[in-house]
Amino acid sequence: MAEFLIRRVAISIVTLIVISVIVFTGVRMIPGDPARVMAGTDADAAGLEEIRAKYGLNDPIPVQYARWAALALQGDLGRSIRTRDPVMATVAKKLPITVELACLSVLIALALAIPAGVLAAVRRNTMWDVLASGASLCGVSIPNFWLGIMLILFFAVRLGWLPASGFVPLWESPLGNLQRMVMPAFVLGTALAAVLMRQTRNSMIGVLGADYIRTAYSKGLAGRAVIFRHAIRNSLIPVVTILGLQAGALMSGAVVTEQIFVVPGFGRLIVEAVFTRDYPVVQGVVLITASSYVLINLLVDVSYSLLDPRIRIGGAP
Amino acid sequence: MSATVDALRTPGVAAPTGLLHRGWRRVLRRPASLVGGAVVLAFVAMALGAPWIARVDPAAADWKQIRKAPSVAHPFGTDDLGRDNFARVVWGSRVSMQAGVFSIVLAISIGVPLGLVAGYYRGALDQIVMRLTDAWLAFPFLILAIGLVTIMGPSLTNATVAIGLGATPTYIRLTRGLVLATAAEDYVHGARALGAGDARLMARHILPNIFSSLLVQATVSVPIAIIAEAVLSFLGLGVQPPTPSWGTMLNAAQQFLESAPWMAWWPGLAIFVLALSFNLAGDGLRDLLDPKDY
Repeated sequence: MAEFLIRRVAISIVTLIVISVIVFTGVRMIPGDPARVMAGTDADAAGLEEIRAKYGLNDPIPVQYARWAALALQGDLGRSIRTRDPVMATVAKKLPITVELACLSVLIALALAIPAGVLAAVRRNTMWDVLASGASLCGVSIPNFWLGIMLILFFAVRLGWLPASGFVPLWESPLGNLQRMVMPAFVLGTALAAVLMRQTRNSMIGVLGADYIRTAYSKGLAGRAVIFRHAIRNSLIPVVTILGLQAGALMSGAVVTEQIFVVPGFGRLIVEAVFTRDYPVVQGVVLITASSYVLINLLVDVSYSLLDPRIRIGGAP
Repeated sequence: MSATVDALRTPGVAAPTGLLHRGWRRVLRRPASLVGGAVVLAFVAMALGAPWIARVDPAAADWKQIRKAPSVAHPFGTDDLGRDNFARVVWGSRVSMQAGVFSIVLAISIGVPLGLVAGYYRGALDQIVMRLTDAWLAFPFLILAIGLVTIMGPSLTNATVAIGLGATPTYIRLTRGLVLATAAEDYVHGARALGAGDARLMARHILPNIFSSLLVQATVSVPIAIIAEAVLSFLGLGVQPPTPSWGTMLNAAQQFLESAPWMAWWPGLAIFVLALSFNLAGDGLRDLLDPKDY
């Protein structure tokens, strides 16, 4: 167990180092003077010199990287060119909004995917299976930004039931917040639901063929009890892993969804930063997103191995 | 010696007609996949034949025809500059096909050789490639594409490259996994014992046997790439106006949802139908090529 944990953490640390090198190199690949890139086009000579001194841009590249990484580890990702606010503070302000959106969409996805996946597996090769699999295929194929536009068209423009866009903080008006978050969360949730439904169906089919399920049936347990007490619990383990791996897709989805529904979250921040050429913000957001992905998957793997001893015996890939 | 190596049949390269026949019969049992394949071919024909299908110039603005509802003259209506939406959807298929196919060709041409070498030689090289791949995979697809487009500047070519680079780690992982399994097969050991070199083993014995799995993955990746291009163009990071693209059309449509909802219907529907058809065709192809069933 300890060996597995050490190995898994070591791989994550190496991955994080490689990520930081990629992000560091990426910003330096932008044509032009890096000090000018970081300070913005309107910075004067003194401002440029200050940036050069702070980031040691006259030093050799490995020294520059070490200094940048040390600052990043302390949470200093520089300042936004546009607002002059520290990147970390900007991210800290925007992140909770995206996290709320992501949590709601995961809830919607699970509520759609698990019953549909279980039903498709239990009633395999029936109309239910075809319907659920068809819906999942449509969910994977539908561009989420178009789905968002269509929902606005129908529920906001045509029926007038929901506000088309905008954001109200949860603590100011929980109802107003939910009214504005339900459409973006649904859009983000459908793509995830499609993937999770397929996984639930496949893993449930695998579990239903297992010996212990046959044993449960043969000792006289009712069909419903076997499915709810034995099969679902075991078939959901791989679904949790997929959920971790989908964290990245959720982030990508949030970028577009927040853009359509004008939700001032993390995803909208990166698009705004790209258009205003606010490189420190782009760099910070990309670094934080990739690092979170690694950490989320480390957590998923570790908790997964704690739950299921078979995984540690197999060792990490 | 090389003649002997040549004489070693590589299973799966030229499947006996019986298998092909059985596979074809299985595809026929899945009409949805056949329809999907036919629709994909129709889109290819539309992309190639755009100048003949849409007689109107997709970039020609007509100030007297601004935001007109669908009619006989303009079956898909007109946009905010009075341009014909039908012509723009037809021409937009070129952009989508180009970005979808070329980005995945790029991902395959980088990912497959890297995965092949990593899986074949293993050891330190494998570790380096895989740690790089892990880091690469940690960047969400769209965030990586946005980052790359920021560095390279927005254009169709750069969006295609960015999507291709975003899809590459999947191919490295997949190829490596397939190579690890295939390299342990008896026929690979046999070919090595007969004196085949590394390059020959990889090119003649391993690659042909993992080809079908890579092809199936490609049919899954192309629709994702098509949607990714539309997203980048929608965000203003892909195709630049006035070139017609489904993503930029949806971007413009968003501002006129109340007065001209048809502007949003067609480009989105086109992306959805094309992606769905690719996925359906891919499912059929997986059935046809899945060696487990033979």
